[in-house]
Amino acid sequence: MRHLKAINRKARTIDQLNTPATPDVHDQPDVVALQGNSGPRVPDGPHVPLGCSFVFAPGWEVDSSGSTAGLCQPVERDLYDCYVTCFWPIHVPDLLNHAPDWTNKCAAAQQDWRKIDLIFP
Amino acid sequence: MLAGVMSAGLMSSPARAQRPDTTGFEITDPLVLRKCGGCHKTDSTNRVARLSYLRKTPEGWEASVRRMASLNSVKIDPAEARSIVKYFANRQGLAPAEVAPGRFETERRLVEYRYAADGQTERTCRACHSLGRVILQRRTKSEWELLIATHRGYYPGSDFQAFRRMAPPAPDSAPQPHPMDQAIGHLSRAFPLRTPEWTAWSATMRPAPLEGAWSLAGHEPGRGAFFGRMVISKVPGTDDEFTSRATYRYASGGALVTRDGRSVVYTGHQWRGRSTPAGMPPDSSMREVVSVEPGWQEMSGRWFRGGYDEFGMDVKLTRVSPGAAIAGVSPVGLRAGSRDVEVTVFGANLPRAATAASVDFGPGITVTRVVRSSPDEMVVRVNVDSSARTGQRDLFAGGASLRNAVVAYSRIDRIKVTPQSNMARAGGVRVPKMFAQFEAWGYVNGADGKPDTDDDLNVGTVPVRWGLEEYGVTFKDDDTQYVGALDQRGFFTPNVDGPNPARKGSRNNIGDVWVVATYTPEGANARALKGRSLLIVTVPLYMRWEPSRTAP
Ligand code: HEC
Ligand code: HEC
Repeated sequence: MRHLKAINRKARTIDQLNTPATPDVHDQPDVVALQGNSGPRVPDGPHVPLGCSFVFAPGWEVDSSGSTAGLCQPVERDLYDCYVTCFWPIHVPDLLNHAPDWTNKCAAAQQDWRKIDLIFP
Repeated sequence: MLAGVMSAGLMSSPARAQRPDTTGFEITDPLVLRKCGGCHKTDSTNRVARLSYLRKTPEGWEASVRRMASLNSVKIDPAEARSIVKYFANRQGLAPAEVAPGRFETERRLVEYRYAADGQTERTCRACHSLGRVILQRRTKSEWELLIATHRGYYPGSDFQAFRRMAPPAPDSAPQPHPMDQAIGHLSRAFPLRTPEWTAWSATMRPAPLEGAWSLAGHEPGRGAFFGRMVISKVPGTDDEFTSRATYRYASGGALVTRDGRSVVYTGHQWRGRSTPAGMPPDSSMREVVSVEPGWQEMSGRWFRGGYDEFGMDVKLTRVSPGAAIAGVSPVGLRAGSRDVEVTVFGANLPRAATAASVDFGPGITVTRVVRSSPDEMVVRVNVDSSARTGQRDLFAGGASLRNAVVAYSRIDRIKVTPQSNMARAGGVRVPKMFAQFEAWGYVNGADGKPDTDDDLNVGTVPVRWGLEEYGVTFKDDDTQYVGALDQRGFFTPNVDGPNPARKGSRNNIGDVWVVATYTPEGANARALKGRSLLIVTVPLYMRWEPSRTAP
């Protein structure tokens, strides 16, 4: 699944996940390796408008600055990576558990997005 | 590896059989043992592996049973599932005080929630879902551990996303636990299986005696306050299932609405119902998530519907007693110097033949006549002195009273748009749209003359002009052209889902915009006042964990 160029933090995180080799410090967006004490995500993050009941963390609905500007766009382009890596299991069906056949009806979400099914687990 | 993780804890270990673990709850229900016992083993003290060591909301138990069917191939029919969920919600549920901080979750509210007790746990556990899911559970330490093991087994990415620290530790730093270990430690201290709240509640818990008449008061964003009553009857042959008929009217006018509903009350206090307005199709039905206050005199919660549960109303129910009671007044704001204003007082057992002299709004407000009066509604006309002092007024009428029933004011100082930030989702082609409703409220700054202080007074919703403005995040931001439309009722309809070839990079019709309300006060040279709210219009959800089926 490396046909995507990582354009945002979410995608870059997936890239890292798929790259078991020693991480290249220069590729890391959040200089985590240099600070050495935080997880891969932005520590506390700026104010995200909705810390709420259907939402949570910067990533799916908003980027780390609380905006939609940095999201991987269009979302259809990122869907299958999320699906295959189970990356947003609350937002996107996952290959491993709930939706092994999710992509059968459409090979490329960006073109065939009208065939994407909602999954009710 | 997956199978190993997944079956963890299901067998009662031989060690446990010799030295019984009485922390857990005994389970002897034949249906549970028959349906679940094949994999969840019972020990010599009637403790069942895993099941005895958890407490959850009805929604929480429902999610577990649903997962047993979807991922663990358990065959179970809907009636059995309902009965098992009820059994667990009643025997291993949550006390009212334990549910209170997480009510936003079951009521499906879009709120800004901060979990203050442990910042690291908050960050770790809200990476994918709301922390509401977490704080509405009670477990033993080993169950918190197994929960995390389950996450890691099903969703291997979770290690990377949240649970483990990926970067090597700094050379001179002390060893640090992985975020998941810190979360397990915190959660097992903060949300243990046994608590004083549950011990106390389970000792007094009984089927809630709710039959009878209740006075209903509520607020629906976009339509405003409504008042009426609800009559609750028991479903014959049960002691915790009810039918209900609510009749209410919006204070802003309109016909009487009647809704017929059916509900189950779990754990003696968690009302889960569904009601449909008379003569309307079932898809206009609303789910009712309401908490019964201990003592059975009051209930409050939210009724909601919509693709993302975004259409809803706050409701409050108070048991009707033989005496008169006032539930609310409309309008709330009374401007100094205004004459002949029609004011409606809503309540129960109000006097049929009230006189102007028997309705007292306090200094500066004179009731000139009673237009009509019935037990539920009294309509009066009032004059407000031009020198009436700004402030709240208690109302006394027909032997009943309501504190802070109205606000006298001379000038609106500012406008506040609620919610102060909101979310919508593109949809309409392949996925539902998530709509958003805004309201504009007038505020008086109060005695200190300063905005946003405790003495500010809310004078109610005010008529405004609505518009969208760019929330500048990127250079040449053009979101307002694509995200959707806001009408003059403050109702936002998002644009369609799917890539938009007209946008750079085929972006979806998403973006960040300000919703701006402009209020023009009465009076010749009054200055227009503006209020605004940040609206995030974002991508859909493709996985739908809701809707819950805990209501009939
Ligand atoms: C076919 C075997 C099987 C049957 C039958 C079964 N379960 Fe499970 N159960 C599992 C497995 C495997 C796990 C651990 C993985 C998981 O949580 O999905 C589990 C875990 C659980 C958990 C713990 C989840 C958590 O962390 O909260 C609950 C609760 C549960 N089961 C409830 C039930 C109930 C109720 C029944 C009866 C209706 C039932 N199970 C029947 C296999 C089964
Ligand atoms: C990688 C995304 C992700 C992260 C991070 C995450 N969760 Fe979850 N969580 C899920 C998913 C997906 C489900 C739904 C599982 C199901 O029902 O199949 C879930 C369900 C739950 C449930 C309800 C499941 C049950 O059986 O009772 C609880 C409780 C929970 N998570 C707690 C936590 C806690 C505590 C943390 C932090 C330590 C956490 N989650 C972090 C994805 C995540």
